[in-house]
Amino acid sequence: MAKKKEFIAMLLAGGQGSRLGALTKSVAKPAVSFGGKYRIIDFPLSNCANSHIDTVGVLTQYRPLRLNAYLGTGHAWDMNGRDGGVFILPPYATESGAEWYKGTADAIYQNLDFIDLYDPEYVIILSADQIYRMDYQDMLATHKKHNADLSVAVMQVPWEDASRFGIMTAKETGEIVKFTEKPKNPDSNLASMGIYIFTKSVLKKALMEDAADQNSEHDFGNNIIPKLLAEGKRLFTYEFAGYWKDVGTFGSYHQTSMELLDENPEFDLYDQENPILSNTNSQPPQYIGANGCIRQSIAANGTRIFGTVEHSVLGADAFVGEGAYVKDSVILPGARVEAGAKVVRAILGDGAIVKENSVFGSEDESVAIAVLGNEAVYGVGGNE
Amino acid sequence: MDRAIGIITTNYETPDLKELINGRTAASVPYGGRYRMIDFSLSNMENADITTVGIITPYKYRSLIDHFGAGSEWNLDRKIGGLFVLPGSVFGISTKGSRFLLRDFRRNMVFLSRASAKYVVVTTANIVANLDYNKMIDQHEQSGADITLAYVDGVRDDNDISTIVTDESGKVKDILRGVKKGDKAFVDSFVISYELLLKVLDWYAAIDYLDLFEALAADFDKMDIRLFKVEGYLRSIYSAGNYFRNSMDLLRPEVSDELFRRDRPIATKITDAPPTKYGAECVVKNSLIPAGCIIEGTVENSILFRGVTVGKGAVVRNAIVMQSCKIGDGAVVENAIIDRSNKIEAGSVLKGTPENILIKEKNELGN
Repeated sequence: MAKKKEFIAMLLAGGQGSRLGALTKSVAKPAVSFGGKYRIIDFPLSNCANSHIDTVGVLTQYRPLRLNAYLGTGHAWDMNGRDGGVFILPPYATESGAEWYKGTADAIYQNLDFIDLYDPEYVIILSADQIYRMDYQDMLATHKKHNADLSVAVMQVPWEDASRFGIMTAKETGEIVKFTEKPKNPDSNLASMGIYIFTKSVLKKALMEDAADQNSEHDFGNNIIPKLLAEGKRLFTYEFAGYWKDVGTFGSYHQTSMELLDENPEFDLYDQENPILSNTNSQPPQYIGANGCIRQSIAANGTRIFGTVEHSVLGADAFVGEGAYVKDSVILPGARVEAGAKVVRAILGDGAIVKENSVFGSEDESVAIAVLGNEAVYGVGGNE
Repeated sequence: MDRAIGIITTNYETPDLKELINGRTAASVPYGGRYRMIDFSLSNMENADITTVGIITPYKYRSLIDHFGAGSEWNLDRKIGGLFVLPGSVFGISTKGSRFLLRDFRRNMVFLSRASAKYVVVTTANIVANLDYNKMIDQHEQSGADITLAYVDGVRDDNDISTIVTDESGKVKDILRGVKKGDKAFVDSFVISYELLLKVLDWYAAIDYLDLFEALAADFDKMDIRLFKVEGYLRSIYSAGNYFRNSMDLLRPEVSDELFRRDRPIATKITDAPPTKYGAECVVKNSLIPAGCIIEGTVENSILFRGVTVGKGAVVRNAIVMQSCKIGDGAVVENAIIDRSNKIEAGSVLKGTPENILIKEKNELGN
């Protein structure tokens, strides 16, 4: 019997992230690099660590190899203690057969055993594709204060954007009265962030009933929340006002990366109060050559720069050759911009190569961000 | 049985490192932007698949133990084998410059007796090199020697390094303090069979205040001591002057590519420093910069360590700036080593000369 916990986290990390296609060819979206030295999953995991949550179930499904290797024993997030830790929870077979996770709610349902093992009072459900800092303990305190069955983290979005989100309509007390997915005529601008705290008994009952419902898509937003609302359960909002970005598309991934480069970025990687933890290795320091130049950029260890880099994010072991020029771009770990090449408004995937003297990406802002997939080669001798 | 276990000695005096060893020991002197001296020896052991390593600690061991912790970064946090902290003795009447005090081995006989290995690789922690110990053990094994000493051709005169004197047949006749350019410079690393090490410690029990090689000197002719030539880049760091000069070698990509080769990585204690941020007006040339820095000014021909900030208009040139230093706006640092946690006031000037490097001592409690 495991030690009883008050509060554990379940992190939904199974999505393919098909909108990030070229970057997720061989790796699940949560394991995609971000901010030079991080992977997207570092952000919710670091929030857990900084919120003193030491037991996290990570639900994986799509291409989990690199994600699993990255999570390792969980030591990078101080989650390798005796009681608790990071647990990778893939779909599994039982006496009655084997099935993939059919939806977010089904993924948690199939792992009720895991939750029961720690017998927590509360469970927080997280997505693994968002960049933000949040104190989950503060959200839990609000949940308790409301004596809520379910708390949903929300943030205000501009009214004109509200129809793109799942919108919560709430009383002044925060009590949710209505949930509408992508409303045509929104009556609220409080968008759900996909972060939920459930009182465990309520969660368990709802998931078991949902699992038995043939007509359900087994989705938290579309099925569980409406069901609880219909049952008159106590649903409350938890309003969040800080920086929060979904990096599920090339455009948002690129834009969020560029925002890190602002003089006073809204999302500050240097905030030591709540550090972003990651599973890094021992690359040597960055080397900037005698003719190299780097400005308004961030770079991880192992980077070697012999050309010019402006307003870009460079991942570990990235390489920029003599006379090469990189601007407004995100260079993922191990990617190479060879001598004389030019890369502008682009994302280069892990280990991608832009060959000598070729030009990748365009300064024209009306053109979409250029993306070179993981391990892909562009230019003479390349295959793209 | 392991093929080899490792022993890293860190209990020796290095007065010529001067201010750099205030409050720390030679083995924990920061090096190359994010490392400490001992990382090279520890990583070389790891890369040779040595999974049992004893570290003979010095008197001032706090910063060293803080650094290696449970040894997990070098794969030494393990059930079978692992990292062993072996207390060193006070120097007492030992000869200056001793690196392998017999007494330090003898008082850790429990560690040695519990180990099970054919060979013991012994080294100090002041060697900057990416060394292949397995090659050295291979040669030792094939030659059937009693002891195999690693050497390089001396790159310059140096009083802190020992010369290995051999006769015409290549047999070791003597080991002398001081080395001249072109001599065979002992790099303070050797391989000995496990059984022989135990015997040697027994033979010289009565004179265990001596260094191993001082004790052996009388018996060089009775033993088969051979040499292993280390090819490639290797520097022994025992003085502030050669610390600075050799550190600057890392700015040559061919040197850092060889030292930090990705197939035999040099590991170090991991911190969660964010990526380094380069400001809109910064100028950075020919410099080594680890994660966790914020650069707004000019950095040329320099090595920074983690968490250094260089303010707007500040100039850092031909300098080494260690962890957590803040170089204020408009300040100038030239031909200098700025040790940990110093705040250089805005507009101030700290300059040494290429011949006479200025050292600013670290400025913090402890470490």
